Amino acid sequence: MAHITLNQYLQQVLEAIDSRDGAFCAEMLSFKHPHVANPRLQLSSPEEKCQQLLEPPYDEMVAAHLRCTFAVSNHDFVEAYKCQTVVVQYPLSFQAHKEENCSSSLCMCGKGKVGDMLEKAAEQLMSCFRVCASDNRAGIDDSKKWGMLFLINQLFKIYFKINKLHLCKPLIRAIDSSNLKDDYSTAQRVTYKYYVGRKAMFDSDFKQAEEYLSFSFTHCHRSCQRNKRLILIYLLPVKMLLGHMPTHQLLKKYDLMQFADVTKAVSEGNLLLLNEALVKHETFFIRCGIFLILEKLKIITYRNLFKKVYHLLKTHQLPLDAFLVALKMMKVEDVDIDEVQCILANLIYMGHIKGYISHQHQKLVVSKQNPFPPLSSVS
Amino acid sequence: MAANAAQQAPTPNWPYGGNSSGESQVHENPEWEKARQALASISKSQNSTKTSPTNHNTQQTGPYQAADSSAMQQQQQYYQQWYQQNQQQYAGYPYPYNYYYPMPPYGGPYPPGQYGVPGGYQTPTTPTGQAPAMPMMEDQSSSYPSQPPPPATPQPPPQSPTSTDQPPPPPPPPIPPPPNAQYPPPPSQNTYSPNGPLPYSPTDSNTMMQGYNSGQIRPGYQGYQTPAYQPPQQQGPGQGLYGGLGRVDAKKPNNSNMNKGGQQLWQRMKQAPGTGAVKFNIQKRPYVMTNQNVPSGDQAPGLASPTATNPSPGSVAATSTTSTGAAQTRPQDWPQAMKEYVQRCFTACESEEDKDRTEKVLKDLLQSRLQDGSAYTIDWTREPLPDLKPKQSRWEAVPQRSQENAIGRGGAIRGRLGARLGNYRNVFSQRSPSSSSSHSSRSSSRSPSPHSRHRDRSRHHRSDSGSQSDSSMSSDPRFPLSRRQQKGGRGRGAERERGRGAAGERGRGRGKANRGRRNMEDLASGIGKKRKGGNAGLDFHDPNREAKKQSRAARFHTKLRTEPLVLNINVFDLPNGTQEGLGWDECPIVGTCQDITKNYLRLTCAPDPATVRPVSVLRKSLIAVKTHWKSNQDYLYACEQMKSIRQDLTVQGVRTDFTVEVYETHARIALEKGDHEEFNQCQTQLKALYKDCSSDNVGEFTAYRLIYYIFTKNSGDLTTELVYLTPELRADPCVAHALELRTAWALGNFHRFFKLYRNAPRMAAYLIDKFVERERNIALRAILKTFRPFVPVEYVQSSLAFLDLDSCLAFLTGLGVTFTPSDPSKIDCKVSSVSLTTS
Repeated sequence: MAHITLNQYLQQVLEAIDSRDGAFCAEMLSFKHPHVANPRLQLSSPEEKCQQLLEPPYDEMVAAHLRCTFAVSNHDFVEAYKCQTVVVQYPLSFQAHKEENCSSSLCMCGKGKVGDMLEKAAEQLMSCFRVCASDNRAGIDDSKKWGMLFLINQLFKIYFKINKLHLCKPLIRAIDSSNLKDDYSTAQRVTYKYYVGRKAMFDSDFKQAEEYLSFSFTHCHRSCQRNKRLILIYLLPVKMLLGHMPTHQLLKKYDLMQFADVTKAVSEGNLLLLNEALVKHETFFIRCGIFLILEKLKIITYRNLFKKVYHLLKTHQLPLDAFLVALKMMKVEDVDIDEVQCILANLIYMGHIKGYISHQHQKLVVSKQNPFPPLSSVS
Repeated sequence: MAANAAQQAPTPNWPYGGNSSGESQVHENPEWEKARQALASISKSQNSTKTSPTNHNTQQTGPYQAADSSAMQQQQQYYQQWYQQNQQQYAGYPYPYNYYYPMPPYGGPYPPGQYGVPGGYQTPTTPTGQAPAMPMMEDQSSSYPSQPPPPATPQPPPQSPTSTDQPPPPPPPPIPPPPNAQYPPPPSQNTYSPNGPLPYSPTDSNTMMQGYNSGQIRPGYQGYQTPAYQPPQQQGPGQGLYGGLGRVDAKKPNNSNMNKGGQQLWQRMKQAPGTGAVKFNIQKRPYVMTNQNVPSGDQAPGLASPTATNPSPGSVAATSTTSTGAAQTRPQDWPQAMKEYVQRCFTACESEEDKDRTEKVLKDLLQSRLQDGSAYTIDWTREPLPDLKPKQSRWEAVPQRSQENAIGRGGAIRGRLGARLGNYRNVFSQRSPSSSSSHSSRSSSRSPSPHSRHRDRSRHHRSDSGSQSDSSMSSDPRFPLSRRQQKGGRGRGAERERGRGAAGERGRGRGKANRGRRNMEDLASGIGKKRKGGNAGLDFHDPNREAKKQSRAARFHTKLRTEPLVLNINVFDLPNGTQEGLGWDECPIVGTCQDITKNYLRLTCAPDPATVRPVSVLRKSLIAVKTHWKSNQDYLYACEQMKSIRQDLTVQGVRTDFTVEVYETHARIALEKGDHEEFNQCQTQLKALYKDCSSDNVGEFTAYRLIYYIFTKNSGDLTTELVYLTPELRADPCVAHALELRTAWALGNFHRFFKLYRNAPRMAAYLIDKFVERERNIALRAILKTFRPFVPVEYVQSSLAFLDLDSCLAFLTGLGVTFTPSDPSKIDCKVSSVSLTTS
């Protein structure tokens, strides 16, 4: 397979088409397949050959694909993208095609595109998706609907890159309403839930985010350490917000020690440490897009800190000054009693503290039973 | 007349294949002979047999020529199809139509086109000088001329004066000229044959169109109209003429079918076009019949006579050749296995009826096969023989037909009307197959033809022909029939089969139309006919369907490989390239306008330098706008001026510090007045501009952007914005403030948030104003839920950064907050909280 000639390659494609071997055909058009690196296939003008061997729609696809490999090998990504677009547009007009072909040709699209081509690529994928989604005639077995999830995942990937999460909504709805949603391959489902979980997290729907991301994490293949790590990066903040702190071993296993200090600070109510940790790993967190989420851990940290104050004072009527002292200990600058009230008000409002503030007496009165309910029961 | 006819006749013959009849015959004869013999043994009627051989020869000649120029054949075939369609349509139409409309197309396509131009063109391919061909031609020509005169004369009387008027002039002298000079269409037609398919399509359309104008004369001449007229003529020659055109064939097929299915079948198969002609004949005849019963009877004999006698090989040949020429070409091209298969089919027949059925079935089957090209790939030895019985069982009509046919045979020669009608019906049924066969002939010719062009052309032709027919039909206000027919055709319509379907339905339509017109004739017979016709139609359909199915299946198995080169990639690149080329940067303009102020007009075309201000003027403009703004606060004016400045800058491709200044200025003004749209436009531009031009205000506008993201709650963009914040930028007071504000907002720390709001640098407060209400609302909810039993209004006022107590109270009352009865300065938190959460 290593270095087949063009004729061999085309022959294989032809056989795949004849035998309706969609999977193999997809491979032959895939950019992940080793044949892409084959210099004998990297031609600047493979049209003629392809035309001789293959039937109309396919020859153009294959020719475009080969040209794309050529362009990639020359690091001409724009050209590659254009070629790839030709490949991708074909399944559209060619309805009778098998879903695998559709999806296969697409998975390279992700690689062929560069820069602002992303949005155009998304458009292409979207049109493919419409074709798949509208395939109501074919039987369930070879329906193009099986290609939907793949396309959606690719679209998610692009949308997340270009920060257009709102575009994900119709896609999620499409899958939710699909009767196939539990029958897709596990890999696709893991990917799908990963993205949907992320989206839920950004929408501050942490419960759902946790659900999706947990599914994704537990079903992800165990050999895919990198993927699992990616999932954890989003799962950890969500879990912490919900009160589940990761163990040290877990962080170590997945090389996520950036979270170690954060975890420690939150569970200890150590606001100072948390601030330091956030600043220290700010770039990492920001690049992962979770800085704003981790920032919300401050609220949890306040809660834990105030809980400590409560335990120290051992009373239900806590003077606000005590909290002010605690905050100053954590080197929070320019805090005044009004801000303490504000922070407490937020904690009470969010349900982290059961109680009320007596403005008249400047005291926090907490419930005698379970004044600091466990995080998992809150929100 | 004679001269014209002679010219016309030869040319038509040529295209059809009148020339090289001998060769084709030779080749085909041996093979076909077997089938014929087998058929002949079965067939009883001598006449048919005789005629059939003659036809064969002539037909074969026809194919021959076709072989010479495949393109020609195809064209002809198209022609024929087209012709048929037209004829059918015409047939359906009343006489006048024939005159006006149909005539032109017919005349135009066949004789005229061929004659005028084709004669010249085609002759080269097949030497006109050839003895055999020539005689044939001459005969035909002779027959033609003879016909034309009579028809012309007779026509006038029976038909409308208009038609008469037109036809008469053309008949003798005009005829020749019309093709050449008068009729533009003929030339186009000529183009058909010579050029092949390409010219065809256009010509088809043209012909249709042209047919009206020019064609009228000829058609009348050639005898399309004549057939109708012929009845008055009642003469053999006229029929012969007609037959030559294909009516003879039609009759023959009837007879031949009846008599000796095998040979005739072949002919039909080959001669699909001829069969088409038959259809025409039928139609016309019915007209005749309706109009003049007697003449029709005469005609019938006349028709029969040509077939039986076949004395005029030329005429027969002409007719058969014209129609069959294309078809005959096929048999030559046919794979040997297929021929044998056909033989087997016929030898398996036990009765004539069987043969007839077999014929039909085979026609459809072979046509479809040939069209698909599967005929050349299928293993004919394994192909099951057509199963007639089930079809019979399904469609009872078939047996009826056969009976009718039998009757027709008996009576066809000397006309019982009913028998004739039956024959006609049969003819219809046969026609449709024949028409289909013509299609198949095309296909066969295609497949051998190496050039993709032919195929394409042929396709075009088909489509064109179909469309033309439709258009013609629709265009003619004539009758709903045409529409029905169209619909029917479409409904059936596989692409390729449209022609067939249309033909078949048209046939029906004609029948109906004919009936309507005929009324008189056939109330009784008509019913039977109708039924028959309907049945026939069904039969046709079914075989077609099967063929279609097979063809469809075949498509999947063996698709043709791409003929055109695959070079679309480059094409695809073009749009991108053009898009790239559209930037302002590439076509810099330097304005010459010296006006300091200018109204904004959205550009709809390329800018005129005379109306664009250069940068030096724009600087003055900006200052002027600023001062005007400070003194007058007239936002509309300022905004318009700023936009026109921006436009001039954009048009001239100016991207300098001054540009930044303009945008910043406009952004600030827009911000102050709360003009979202303009502010965002400026922000977008500034973001791009800051990459190129440094500005002291980068921090300020970055801060605005951050705050704006808070306003839109766009955490995603906020995060990406954070990624690009350099430490220097973070140190900027504006940015630092915005970041703090963001933190406070994210944590719900309203106290800090409003503190920052009060201390907002520069114009950030304007931006925060946009969502301060929203944040106050949230904060108030938290406060009301937290404090018990009450909270003083002052606290709320200070916490939520109300400037004075009144505005705070207004805000609170607006939300329906309740104050403690005893002290209006305090809020009853419990009650208010409930009302707030419920509201």
